[in-house]
Amino acid sequence: MSDGVTLAQEAGSRDPAIGLRAVRALRELAERLEALQVASARDKGWSWQQIAVCLGVSRQAVHKKHGGGRRILKKER
Amino acid sequence: MFERFTDSARQAVNGAQGQARTLGHHHVGTEHLLLALVEGDDPTAWELGRLGLDAADLRARLVRISADPLDSDALRAIGIDLEAVRQATEQTFGEGALDVPAGQSRPSLWGHLPFSPKAKKALEQSLRHALRLKHKHISSGHVLLGALHDEEFLSVRLVTEAGVDVNTLRAEITRLLTSAAA
Repeated sequence: MSDGVTLAQEAGSRDPAIGLRAVRALRELAERLEALQVASARDKGWSWQQIAVCLGVSRQAVHKKHGGGRRILKKER
Repeated sequence: MFERFTDSARQAVNGAQGQARTLGHHHVGTEHLLLALVEGDDPTAWELGRLGLDAADLRARLVRISADPLDSDALRAIGIDLEAVRQATEQTFGEGALDVPAGQSRPSLWGHLPFSPKAKKALEQSLRHALRLKHKHISSGHVLLGALHDEEFLSVRLVTEAGVDVNTLRAEITRLLTSAAA
């Protein structure tokens, strides 16, 4: 790991502004990846139940969050 | 106040609405006023272009600095290389896959987006600049002076980041406004 990264990490641990921005960015990153992966899984024929198990949430939760989509092929749970 | 606006100023205000909408933003800010002024077709826009301000470049900067909560600097501080994540994601899902904000609801395609407090302040300042220069009307040049009024405005930050000195720009626009004998 480069000195620059180490320095940045040290600064990050001390400055709440950077730490909090990183948390927000991580959350946003996770949300975007989730949307991509869920859409991809659905396209590959995965059920909401299968997706939910992988994400560690209930089927209802994942369907409520991602189910309102613009899918061409309507698939049952 | 708006009855004093010339056509060019009205176009800037209406254009700012369109700019915000195109970017998927939910309010009209000073940054959108600036973009609309740059994309105009009048002496103010020509002056902005002459000084090197380009709408596409400004829009790209805007997307980078303000709208995107995917803060690559903050992520780097905790050891995450966003560029690497982006590359891996785009390899699987195609170009720009990571650029769609999570849970973004599309703003209405009609109806007016609200002006931010700073954009309102910028418009108020455009009136003050017209009064200061003893002009009866508010043109796009006055709107620009209003949008450049406060260092805290995102419009000022964009101009500066694009490599244009704000004081120089203010002076050039003031010269343009006073020489036009409006």
